[in-house]
Amino acid sequence: MSDMVTGDGRTHIRSPLMKESLQDREVQARAFSEREIEIMPGVTMVSIGGQSIFDRGAEAILPLVEELGPLMQEHKLLIGVGGGTRVRHTCSVALDLGLPTGGVAQLVGAMEECNAVFLNALLAGHGSIPMQREHFWDLPLYFRSGLTPIAISVPPYHFWEPPNAEGPMPAHGSDFGLFMHAEVLGMDHIIYVKDEDGLYDKDPKRHDDAKFIKRTTLAELQADMPQELILDRQVFQAWPDARHLERIQIINGLVPGNLTRALAGEDVGTVITRS
Amino acid sequence: MSERNTIDSVLGDSPLTGGEIQGLNYDPISMDPDVRVVKLGGQSLLDRGRAALFPVLDEIVAAKDRHKMLLMCGGGTRARHIYSIASELELPTGVLAALGGYVPMQNARMVQMLLAKHGGLYMLHDDFEKLPLYFRLGCLPVMTGMPPFAYWEKPVEGTRIPSNRTDAGVYLSAEVMGCPRAIYIKDEEGLHEHDPKKHPDAKHIPRISVAELEELDLPDLIVERSVLEHMKRARFCKEIQFVNGLVPGNVTRALDGEDVGTIIYAD
Repeated sequence: MSDMVTGDGRTHIRSPLMKESLQDREVQARAFSEREIEIMPGVTMVSIGGQSIFDRGAEAILPLVEELGPLMQEHKLLIGVGGGTRVRHTCSVALDLGLPTGGVAQLVGAMEECNAVFLNALLAGHGSIPMQREHFWDLPLYFRSGLTPIAISVPPYHFWEPPNAEGPMPAHGSDFGLFMHAEVLGMDHIIYVKDEDGLYDKDPKRHDDAKFIKRTTLAELQADMPQELILDRQVFQAWPDARHLERIQIINGLVPGNLTRALAGEDVGTVITRS
Repeated sequence: MSERNTIDSVLGDSPLTGGEIQGLNYDPISMDPDVRVVKLGGQSLLDRGRAALFPVLDEIVAAKDRHKMLLMCGGGTRARHIYSIASELELPTGVLAALGGYVPMQNARMVQMLLAKHGGLYMLHDDFEKLPLYFRLGCLPVMTGMPPFAYWEKPVEGTRIPSNRTDAGVYLSAEVMGCPRAIYIKDEEGLHEHDPKKHPDAKHIPRISVAELEELDLPDLIVERSVLEHMKRARFCKEIQFVNGLVPGNVTRALDGEDVGTIIYAD
């Protein structure tokens, strides 16, 4: 039974954090332990690239949809879709107009949601369902019904997107959003489906001498982070303090069979492990 | 294989990993800089009940026709209780952020009821864009101070307590609106070198920069550390003001632009 504590003009409820400002480092450490519960273990996050896959149209999307159908029956998946060229265009226009960073972030989700609806139209017959943020906790319902949810990738920071050290663009994009979504639910594996064989030391579309990175660790990457990254930089900034995500895999979704192999546990594409 | 079906734009093919963009002349607009974004402290004000809150609300109502005000509420003891239990249950940071968010919502609803006859209006994050309507109608919008990050709040080392709580939500609201200053109504005369509730002889600091404050490396702070980080990158909100709402007249003076309390500013 909780006690009420008074005496300093305020009414407190007895707890280890009672009366504290929560900025004190010792106090913060009281709210910590090595363990963290895994809310939905056994689920894999699959991110389908916006610009890399969606913007290529039917020729890229339909084979992936074909491949996903049976995979959705075999594995518990949470699928996310990026926004692609329409997001870039939105940001261009918004920044030219001088909208604040938070305003730009508020706009971006719409183009991703479009792609989620596109994908859902194609996968509904195999048992997909779009996942609104209000339905965050409906996951067990979906999985027990054999459905595969399609989430909006970009995090709901909206107007409250923090100012970016590097410029006016929002720092927290779709790769990061799905990373966080996977992490908070206790997933240990996320597969980013793009249009390159994996991670390179620079953009292979622009540099013929780009070197493919088949396998690396977070520490190795942090020591030598490529200037041009196929994933949001924020993913690698958030990963060191994450508790659950152990394996990030980047595969080429234009090659049939890659996703099947990755979900079977094969090291296709680039595999980055936390340690 | 088909090409990427792109739309021409200044951003071109570049991955959206943030940063300056070539060929872009970014001249940011300030959405509504005259708005006073005001935090009503949770533990410091709301948990004190009528004796502390009513006089503050009276001053706010009295200033209503002079200033557009967005009132945002802190959490307080119930939020601390939630964070305590959630930590013991070893729940992830994002879940704590979502759970903690319920308390400032309750507080905002309470304040709305108290201000209803003066135009108090409870609003959600999704209503943020309707602020121009609320202000033109002479309303007093009230909302949670928490940002909407919830399950997407990043975990940090050494604690489960979310980094971006109500101080950050208030700050980021001011920043996105283009306001130069955010006002925090608490129960102390601003910043001191130690927590004055534990050290009654703690020295008051009337004005200090973010850099100077970080150099002091105080074990405890009057504001969430994340706010200081955001301030370093701010385009508009370069000042945050901490006011003792328990002293009559302080709130009015702060709303009118006086430097009462402590100002922390970004260099």
